[in-house]
Amino acid sequence: MASTSTSSSAASSSGLPMLHRAAAWVVVAIALAASGRAAAPRFYADDPLWSDDDRRFDASKAVPIEDTNGYDFVVNTFTSPGERRDVRAMNVNTVDEVPDSSWFTNRIGRPAAGLTAADVARGPDTLAGVSLQGWVVSGGKSTGVQPGFRMTDPSGQLYQIEIDPPSNPELASAAEIIGTAFYHAIGYNTVDVYLADLDRSALTISERATIRDPLNGKRRRLKRSDLDLVFERAARRPDGRYRVLVSRFAPGKPLGNFRYYGTRPDDPNDIVPHEHRRELRGARVFGAWLNHDDSRGINSLDMLEASAVGGWIKHYMFDFGSILGSGTIYAQRHRPGNEYIFEHKPGWLTLATLGAYVRPWQRIDYPDVPRSIGRFESKAFDPIKWKPEYPNPAFENMRPDDAFWAARIVSRFTDEMIGAIVKKAQYSDPRATEFMTAALIERRDKVVAAWLNEVAPIVEPALTADGTLRFVNAAVEARAAEPPSTYQLQWFRFDNATAARTDVGGRQTTSDVSARAPADLLAAGEFVGVEISAAHPRHPGWARPATFYFRRAAGAWTLVGVARG
Amino acid sequence: MLTGRFAAILFFCLASATLSVAQERESRAEADRQRREEKNRNLHPYEPGAFERAMHFAEEKAIFILGREGLYPKLGSLTTGSGFAYGAGFRDRDLFDNKGMIDLWAATSTRGYWATEARLTFPALAHRRLLLETWAAHREYPQEHFFGIGPDSLRSNVTSYAIRSNLFGGRAGVRPVGIVLAGGGLEYLNPRLGPGENAEVPSIEDVFTPITAPGLGESVDYLHSTAFVEVDYRQPTNARKGGWYRFDLSHFDDRTTGRYSVTRFNTDLRQFVGFLAGRRVMATRLFVSTSDTGQGEVMPFYAMPTLGGNDTLRGFREYRFRGPHAILGQVEYRWEIWSGLEGALFYDAGKVADRRADLDFTDLERDYGFGFRFNTDEAIVFRVDAGFGSKDGKHLYIVFGGIF
Repeated sequence: MASTSTSSSAASSSGLPMLHRAAAWVVVAIALAASGRAAAPRFYADDPLWSDDDRRFDASKAVPIEDTNGYDFVVNTFTSPGERRDVRAMNVNTVDEVPDSSWFTNRIGRPAAGLTAADVARGPDTLAGVSLQGWVVSGGKSTGVQPGFRMTDPSGQLYQIEIDPPSNPELASAAEIIGTAFYHAIGYNTVDVYLADLDRSALTISERATIRDPLNGKRRRLKRSDLDLVFERAARRPDGRYRVLVSRFAPGKPLGNFRYYGTRPDDPNDIVPHEHRRELRGARVFGAWLNHDDSRGINSLDMLEASAVGGWIKHYMFDFGSILGSGTIYAQRHRPGNEYIFEHKPGWLTLATLGAYVRPWQRIDYPDVPRSIGRFESKAFDPIKWKPEYPNPAFENMRPDDAFWAARIVSRFTDEMIGAIVKKAQYSDPRATEFMTAALIERRDKVVAAWLNEVAPIVEPALTADGTLRFVNAAVEARAAEPPSTYQLQWFRFDNATAARTDVGGRQTTSDVSARAPADLLAAGEFVGVEISAAHPRHPGWARPATFYFRRAAGAWTLVGVARG
Repeated sequence: MLTGRFAAILFFCLASATLSVAQERESRAEADRQRREEKNRNLHPYEPGAFERAMHFAEEKAIFILGREGLYPKLGSLTTGSGFAYGAGFRDRDLFDNKGMIDLWAATSTRGYWATEARLTFPALAHRRLLLETWAAHREYPQEHFFGIGPDSLRSNVTSYAIRSNLFGGRAGVRPVGIVLAGGGLEYLNPRLGPGENAEVPSIEDVFTPITAPGLGESVDYLHSTAFVEVDYRQPTNARKGGWYRFDLSHFDDRTTGRYSVTRFNTDLRQFVGFLAGRRVMATRLFVSTSDTGQGEVMPFYAMPTLGGNDTLRGFREYRFRGPHAILGQVEYRWEIWSGLEGALFYDAGKVADRRADLDFTDLERDYGFGFRFNTDEAIVFRVDAGFGSKDGKHLYIVFGGIF
């Protein structure tokens, strides 16, 4: 007390030192406060999160963002929107997986879901099928290149009806059916799609049906002649009827499309830049597999759905008419999937050499297949070289760990599942079903082999209380690689508060998919970890280690963290 | 003293806050919630930039201005050598439940040409098997070039003349199968000639006479009848493979003097061979035109086929050669540089002849060159062709539209 008093009196004898001392206290306090904010633990108590609560805040004030073809092309081709950075995806949980959210729901990616081939083929469908009896034409179709119109069922539910081109019957509708089922099983939000038979003579046009006039853009009443124009561009069956694709409108209020970069400034729940979302980065892998060259913002859909707080935005993948061998209104061209619409190098080379330079894709020999397939193949397909129509910021940011995540999902589609999905497209020619199934299986195998092997493909590690570690080699499991001769392991202790890692013991080598932790490692501490890599002459990517973190809880070790590469 | 106390209190508060934050953030879910809460405090609607707004306008509005129904701006070209034309039109392309279209327009050009036209078309009646079309038009072309008749005409003899015509006509075509169109037409026209209005060259009557330029000084009305067959199996319309062939027999019946009637047979054969996924195309064309007149009749110069200009002999000026008979061969090698842009190397050879017997492959006028084409699957929208190698020097053509 005395010293305090002295100190005080000393301070009062000179105001400046007193001020310095106060300032010093404040600085210390602020530093402590700041450090309290910055030094967040690596793992929280609730890690890993399997669900991202991105519906919590009211997004009902959001307004539509509707990009146009030209703008989307120019912005993504001639500028670099979003952030291009080699950084881990920002929406993954601590075990490097994507939590369920308004963007994505783990379906086939979560083995516990136990999806069967029938489940996968059913996709998002909420009905066993549709019949158009009693439906009325309720409007024209004003977006997309695929001709069509809108119909309403007796309950008032709105659907979009689309037809196939005369040159390639079943082409676009099959692509939509197959694409929707795959993307839904992968985990994206998609709308229900069905195939139906349509009798043109039985169509009834609602008195309130309108169309945006294709000639002047103005909305006017829909006439029968508008439907005639649609059917003039439609493949007709020998019995005079039409096979049509019936897409159920998603519930909610349309808010335009999402972008593969940035966030919506009017959606409080949208906090992760889209170019850093794992499921959007990894969509490049799925796009390559299924040749979804139209993977771009304008083929997406945001819908505002009601909630207790007001509303939340659900993000859909949309419009699969131009995947596989389909170009929607014709067999897909040769370039899509192989080169951007505008790409400097091959263009200048072709110009300078007067065409003597030949792009590799111009030499691809496509198989002779039924017209319903379009232009599709699997022999020359190289997943690493696959490209969408123009650069996609999320795809550009895809890292080996993103690709690994996506390839793992692809690997879970069995031959039976692929066959069931293709069968759902109801090709009238059995050769088409056979070809498409075989091509997708071969492409799947190439995708899995390419991207499961870019990092050490170690998955499903389990550490028992007695220190036995077991893991799985995902590439070997998927028959995308032969086992390595040895795995290298480095155990460590982990300080969750400081993120400091302290190696324990030397490097271990094991030829098996199991190992034992050093005894003294497990004796103390809440967190331990192990870094695993492998040397494989054909897969140099296996040298990029996978690191696993375990937390001690109730006497057992629980996987709490995964990092790859 | 007060300052010290204040610092202690502040320290206590901040330390408490630190502990509080740490406690609040003991879960990942709470950390995420706080980030969203922070964003929720700063929500604002999306504001497109100026470029984005301009692109939206271009794609959603401007495209409808150029291609709009009702009143529309008429832009482009009136005829070879007219210069850039501009005007206004009115059109309705979904007449009679989308079966017909009407187009009325009037335009003038940078070189003083002007024209107006009304056209009613039914392109796909009877399940696309029947085509009907009728038109009425007026054209005034004040400075058409004339160099003389025959293969030996001289560039130095360039003159200009004005031609004014009213036209009324119609045609019908049937498609027995999808790729064949056969039909015929009838047209009334009354070309009237006048002095050329190009101040840089003499007017036609200053250099030529009715002997060297038959029809000069005469006013003749014609009834022009045509029969034709077209075979079109190009894929796509801006072809990467396939062919387009047309044969037409026409008769210009002089209804005024009876001295200028002409019968003509035109053959136009175009073949396209694509390779390397259709990204390289060899395009070839052979055009032959041969005409007859009745005993004692002559063919007016303005009704003769011509060669020279952006779509025939590109190393020569427009209408450089004119004669009763003509032959033209064209070869183009086209290679795609980027989607929507092609390069082309071309070679043209042709001649006009005074006698049908001279219609062979000897003594052809030749040129070569290169060009660039901005195109779609359906058409070339804009092209630049540079022609070289002719006896008339170099020529550059910038054209809104295609070539064979």
